[in-house]
Amino acid sequence: MVLTFYLWDYARSGWMAQSVQKRFPEIVLGTGIIFSLLVFWDIYSLVTARSRAVGLAEKMTEDLRLEIVERKHAEAELARSNEELERFAYVASHDLQEPLRMISSYTQLIEKRYRERLDAEAGEFMGYVTDGAARMKQLINDLLSYARVGTRGREFQPTPCEAVVKEAVRNLEITLKDAHAAVTYDPLPEVLADSLQLTQLFQNLIGNAVKFHGNEPPCVHISAVKNSHEWTLTVRDNGIGIDPKYAEKIFVIFQRLHTRNEYPGTGIGLAICKKIIERHGGRIWLESGEGRGATFYFTLPVIKG
Amino acid sequence: MERQSLGRTVEILLVEDNPGDVRLTVEALKDGKVSNNMNVVKDGFEAMDFLLRRHQYKEAPRPDLILLDLNLPKKDGREVLTEIKESPDLRRIPVVILTTSKDEADILKSYDLHANCYITKPVDFDLFMKAVQSIENFWFSIVKLPS
Repeated sequence: MVLTFYLWDYARSGWMAQSVQKRFPEIVLGTGIIFSLLVFWDIYSLVTARSRAVGLAEKMTEDLRLEIVERKHAEAELARSNEELERFAYVASHDLQEPLRMISSYTQLIEKRYRERLDAEAGEFMGYVTDGAARMKQLINDLLSYARVGTRGREFQPTPCEAVVKEAVRNLEITLKDAHAAVTYDPLPEVLADSLQLTQLFQNLIGNAVKFHGNEPPCVHISAVKNSHEWTLTVRDNGIGIDPKYAEKIFVIFQRLHTRNEYPGTGIGLAICKKIIERHGGRIWLESGEGRGATFYFTLPVIKG
Repeated sequence: MERQSLGRTVEILLVEDNPGDVRLTVEALKDGKVSNNMNVVKDGFEAMDFLLRRHQYKEAPRPDLILLDLNLPKKDGREVLTEIKESPDLRRIPVVILTTSKDEADILKSYDLHANCYITKPVDFDLFMKAVQSIENFWFSIVKLPS
């Protein structure tokens, strides 16, 4: 608009040719219309842009809302299927005990009553049956304890980690003494946890550190670092270590890296650790190399307020 | 034998559907301190027929002790327990629940229905034998039962 008046002023100053001066009102009007249209277009596009932006924002909000609904649905589904799986594991392991009790009872009865009448080969075969039944019993018990992490867990309470570590050490007293093992720890935080499960976690990690010891007497050190919203606890040992390519596999239930003759056990300990930590909203991983000891890390949320 | 409170061969009713368990229980009581006669039925209907002397059990003795499994075909142990404890004629007979279940709900339910005690069958053979022998010892040598 300002430009239109300026042109008007400019034209009247007599600089322009006569012919142009004659048609001046039309030129001014034309220019004015063009400018006005431009201005209107600007305003229009501003208005529509705003409404388009609002529309887009609304659509995005709606998308987000749908995504949240979907995610909540998926989470509920996952929780349900986890629950079902736990229930299944519990029922399966419970019902499996019944026939197993028959197998082990009657093999024991045969061994008691007929020991003298069995020849060497029959005795050997009986040995395998007894051993198989004993292992199956162990697997079923382990499966039950694994299922119980989810089904028998207790409410989270403020729990001092040092007391928990002390308790785990007390439970492992004989094992630690026999292995001449030393367990040390830095000041440890208070966390929100199921203290029984946290004790089991430390017990499994310390127990493993002692079980997979190297040539030196086992040394286990526990420490903690606080990040913005979580504690990272570490359990470091000087044992035989683990090839990093197995770093994921060792947390899977019944996965073992050694034969039963080398190291006893079913391969349940770390799977239970992982399940316990996940129930507490944390992560667990390890850093290691063969012959370099192992360091297990796990996170627990910081108590708020 | 002199510690025996009833002074005669005791009658035990075992309600158990698994023949393996029946045999183990019989084996455990064979060398027991108390002279006993084991009667075995395989489900809840047979148990009630035995106790009420119906059908093929018209001549059945009145048991001094009932060993009752919870999970039985047709009529289960909980129903049998209910009927026994609701009957003025039968409710003084001690009922020992002998089951594989460790479930807290089963334990509570059984005591609510007035079971006299609840025992989870030990998985270990020797412990099972000991458990059954101590049931016998407790109920026939220590406890004073109505004569």
